[in-house]
Amino acid sequence: MSILQIQNASKIYGSGHTEVNALKPTHFSAEKGELIAVIGPSGSGKSTFLTIAGGLQRPTEGSVLINGQDVTKLSEKKRSRIRLSEVGFILQASNLIPYLTVENQFRLLDKVKKGTMNPNEKEKLLKQLGIDDLVKKYPADLSGGEKQRVAIAKALYTKPSLLLADEPTASLDSDRAFEVMSILSLEVKEKNKAAIMVTHDHRLTKYCDKVFTIVDGQLSQIAHGDRADAQLNASD
Amino acid sequence: MFLAWNELKSAKLRFLLIIGVLTLMSYLVFLLSGLANGLAELNREAVDQWGADAIVLSDESNINLPQSSMTIQSAQNISAKDKAQIAQILLVARKSGTKIKESVAVTGIQKDQFLMPKISEGRAFTTDNEVVADDSLKADGLKIGDHLNISSSDQKLIIVGFTKNAKFNAAPVLYTTQSTVQKIKYGKANASGKGLINGVVLRDPHFAHLKVDPKLKLTPIETFIENMPGYTPQKISLDFMIYFLFVIVSVTIGIFLYVLTIQKVSIFGVMKAQGISSGFLIRSVIAQTFLLALFGVFIGLVLTTITGVCLPAAVPIQLNIPALFVYGIIFILVATLGSLFSVQTIVKIDPVKAIGG
Repeated sequence: MSILQIQNASKIYGSGHTEVNALKPTHFSAEKGELIAVIGPSGSGKSTFLTIAGGLQRPTEGSVLINGQDVTKLSEKKRSRIRLSEVGFILQASNLIPYLTVENQFRLLDKVKKGTMNPNEKEKLLKQLGIDDLVKKYPADLSGGEKQRVAIAKALYTKPSLLLADEPTASLDSDRAFEVMSILSLEVKEKNKAAIMVTHDHRLTKYCDKVFTIVDGQLSQIAHGDRADAQLNASD
Repeated sequence: MFLAWNELKSAKLRFLLIIGVLTLMSYLVFLLSGLANGLAELNREAVDQWGADAIVLSDESNINLPQSSMTIQSAQNISAKDKAQIAQILLVARKSGTKIKESVAVTGIQKDQFLMPKISEGRAFTTDNEVVADDSLKADGLKIGDHLNISSSDQKLIIVGFTKNAKFNAAPVLYTTQSTVQKIKYGKANASGKGLINGVVLRDPHFAHLKVDPKLKLTPIETFIENMPGYTPQKISLDFMIYFLFVIVSVTIGIFLYVLTIQKVSIFGVMKAQGISSGFLIRSVIAQTFLLALFGVFIGLVLTTITGVCLPAAVPIQLNIPALFVYGIIFILVATLGSLFSVQTIVKIDPVKAIGG
C-alpha cells in the first residue's frame, strides 16, 4: 500500500475573474522508502501541492489517501490527528516555537503525541544532525542552519510515515545540505518512510528516487533520481 | 500548562508588564471597594456593633432615630426577647478651652443592657455627664479626662473612656446615661422629658411576630440603616462605581488578552499544521491567563493590604478581607472568561496561511 496516494486532486482558489488554478488535476503516489523531489519556481503551486499532500487543506476535487485513509473526507479535527501521527512537516518558515528551548520543543511533542522517539533514538538523531549540544538554547540563539536542523529533528521525532519538506536545505551551506539530505534519505530507507521534498536546489536530486517538476500547477515526473541529475546538469 | 508556563518564563519582561497591568486593575477595584465599604461603615458601624435585629421607633419619625420620640412606658410594653432603650441627640461638642469642635451623636443607654459598648480604653460611665467616646475622636486631639461643652445646652460632658467602631451616620458616638441625654434635650428643670426616649433596639430573630403600639413602628435593622440620611443614595453610587469598574476592567482584560493571542496566531498556526489540536492551544491560553490573573490579583491584594495599613486613620477605608478574596476570585474568573474571546480566533486559525502556503 502506498503511504501517500493522490487521486485526480486539483485545487482552485477563488472564482470567476479571480479564479486561480493552483493545482491541476494530479495523480501522484509515494511508496515506502521513496524520497521524492518536486522542483518548481515560486508561485508554481509547490506549496499548494505540499499542503494538500499533508492533509493541511482539502483539494477542490479528488482525494488524498494517507496510509489508505482518505483525508479529504475527514473533519479538521481528525485531519489534525492524522497530521500529528502520520505526517512530519519540515517547514520553510522554521516550525520552531520561539519561547521553547530545543529540549522543550521535543517535550511539547511528547505531551501531544504518544509513541515519539525514546531517549536513545532521540540522542542518536540529535548527534547525527549535530545539534546535541544545543538542547538548552532558544530558537533565537540558533543560526539559520541550526534552526533548520532542529526543525528536521522535530519532524522526525514523532516517527511519521510521511515526511513533507519545504526547502529543507534552504539555509544550509552545501556540506550541511548534503549531510542533511543523506540523513533524510537514510531515515526514509531504514524506516520505510516516504518523503516528499519541495526544492529548487537541483543538486539535491541525486539523493532522490523520483523527481517531479511543477509549473503553473501542472505536476509532471521528469526522471528517476540518478538520471535526473544528469539530465538537469545537461540542460543547465 | 506546559506551553503557558514556558512562555511566561521566556518573555519575563512582557509578562511582568501584563501582570503589572492586572495588578493595578485589581488594586484599583480592591481599594475602591475598601473605600466604599469604609464610607458605608461610617454610617453604620455603631449600629453593627449593637448586633441588633430590629428597632422600634415612633411612626412619625420616618425611621430616623434622632427624630423619634416615645415613652419609656410604651417601650416596656414591647415583649421582645432582649431589648434596650436608646435616647439620642445629635449636636456639636467643643473641647473646653480649645477650638476643637466635633459633630457627635450623644447616645443614652442603660449600662446593663446590650447596647453598652466594649471599652477599649479608660472605663465605663458611672454617673450622668460621663461619656464613652468613639476612639476616632482621639485622632482629633481628644483624650480621657477632657471636658466637652455642647451646643444648645449648658451641660458639660467628660470623657471617661473610649470604644472602637462607634460612628452613627458618620458622627462619632458618645455613649452616656439616658438621663444625660434627657437633660440636654429638655433642660434640667423640665420634668416632662424624664419619661422620653428615642427608640428601643431589639435582639430577637422572631421580631416580625411582635405586636407594637400603633403609634410605633417596628423596623428591621437593615431597613433602619438604609433609611439613614444619605446612606442609600451614597451606597448605590458606590456600588455602581464598583460594578462598572468590574465590567470595564473585565472587558479591558479581555481585549488585552485577545491582542496577546492575535500576536501568537502564526505560532499557533505552525503548531496546528503539525497536528497539535485547537483544544490543546485553547487550554494553554486559558491556563496562561489564569496564571497571569492569579499573580496580578495576589500582588494587588498585598498592595491593598499594605495601603490599608499605611493610610491615615482619617481615610475611611474598611478592608473586608473575605470580601476581597471573593472579589479576587471573581476577578480571576472574569479574566479567564476574557481569554475565551480568543478561543474563536484559535479555532479559526488556518494552518495553511500560517505556514505561508
